[in-house]
Amino acid sequence: MFDLATVFEFTRDTVILTVGITAVLASLGVILCSSPIYCALYLISHMICLALLFLLYNAEFLAVVQIIVYAGAVMILFLFIIALLGGRKEVQENSLERSIAFGLIFTLLGELYLSATVGPTKQIEGTINSEMFGTAKAIGLELFSKHIVAFELASAVLLVAAVGVICLAKFSFTPLKRR
Amino acid sequence: MDLDWVTEFLNELWGFTVQSLTDNVLLIVGSVKAIVIAVAVMSVVPALVWLERRLMGRFQVRLGPNRVGPFGFGQPMADTIKLLFKESIIQSSADKFLFHLAPAVVVFTAIVAFAVIPFGAPFEVFGQRIELWGANVNSGILFVFAISGMGIYGMVLAGLSSNNKYSLMGGLRSSAQMISYELTLGLSALSVIILTGSLSLIDMVEAQETVPFILIQPLAFLLFFIAGVAETNRAPFDLPEAEQELVAGFHTEYTGMKFAMFFMGEYINMVTMSALVTILFLGGWNSYGIPIWPIVAFAGKVLFLLCVFIWLRSTFPRIRYDRLMTFGWKVLLPLCLLNLLITGTIKVL
Repeated sequence: MFDLATVFEFTRDTVILTVGITAVLASLGVILCSSPIYCALYLISHMICLALLFLLYNAEFLAVVQIIVYAGAVMILFLFIIALLGGRKEVQENSLERSIAFGLIFTLLGELYLSATVGPTKQIEGTINSEMFGTAKAIGLELFSKHIVAFELASAVLLVAAVGVICLAKFSFTPLKRR
Repeated sequence: MDLDWVTEFLNELWGFTVQSLTDNVLLIVGSVKAIVIAVAVMSVVPALVWLERRLMGRFQVRLGPNRVGPFGFGQPMADTIKLLFKESIIQSSADKFLFHLAPAVVVFTAIVAFAVIPFGAPFEVFGQRIELWGANVNSGILFVFAISGMGIYGMVLAGLSSNNKYSLMGGLRSSAQMISYELTLGLSALSVIILTGSLSLIDMVEAQETVPFILIQPLAFLLFFIAGVAETNRAPFDLPEAEQELVAGFHTEYTGMKFAMFFMGEYINMVTMSALVTILFLGGWNSYGIPIWPIVAFAGKVLFLLCVFIWLRSTFPRIRYDRLMTFGWKVLLPLCLLNLLITGTIKVL
């Protein structure tokens, strides 16, 4: 008779592997596709695959945030810009760069294979609270205790960037008359 | 003839079946619930179309559809059959793959978002605890926002792939509008999250056992509801499909069932949004002393909110695009932040 636990372990591994391979294929699609709309779509599917991977490793909150921030907000702006500028297909002229890119990718893959087989992997240090693992609470506690300075600095930098964008956009156009 | 091995095999098979059934009872219950929720949500759409047309008729002092079947209830069926059998036309300049993908994305995200909505208190049948929700996700409300955020892609892709100026403008409008109002939606829900201290929708309902949050957070309720109407692209915020300006917006080029799928997505989103407002502010399945089943209380509240959606549509004229943006960014968002500040301060004190 089958051992059900092994069956489920096997399915879980298969799912993880499938999602991971899909993520890699999608990211390849981003580079190799010539139409900007499809590039953006490949990037979105890559983000979704990453979120699924987070989910499969029980990091629920991270998965949802990944979808909201990257797949939801950032990529919709990408598509918005593509729609505004008109997504024309780019013509691929020189195959030299393409072959270099392919070479790079395969080198990276070889590197990955080497590090997977030869290089030792290090254990993660520190304790993981298994009860709170992956929840918003755990991330919040970590973020607002250990990394508070970096977090606040990042928020300040983002604010500066937002103000900068408004300044740049505002002064290069004549202000619209309020109707 | 010796049939021992057959009986042994059958015994083993039976044992394995029973074993796997008892081991996977959660999986089976989950699958059944998923199917029930998906079918229920999809079959609610024709009823909702009927309700909308009847109510709109009354609001505009006319009868509405009343010829097909009792109270015109056969009308949605007739419409559905018509849409199913219509020829699907795709213009040759369209991007075929995206053109097919867009309505699927809209319907898929709309149904999936409903998966975490709890619509009744848990009860026990045959010693098995049956919970009336698809999944108890720890960050349930974020899940709903994430999935409904993905729904925008359906509209944008429809606009992009149709190769039509009106469709493109509709898609652009929908993305801009939904990004703007998603902020208000999230921030007004944040005040409820502060009050309950949890992202789970079930915890939120349980926190409102004595008082619904609409009494504690009336401003947040109002903001959430306005943003919710805008998120579902309903009038007066139906800019993406404004008939008078954009023919039909992002779904101008769609015919037959693909056209109907956009409508399905919109109506399912309406139900999800009503359910979300019910859970966050109206106390979910709590009936506050009125002796009815929890699920009936929940359904009644959702139905009332759906009627309000339809009522809004027949009352307000469409808001102009620039005013929509100004309203979202300069009125709703500051009010949200102010409300959040006050709620947070009170909570800390």
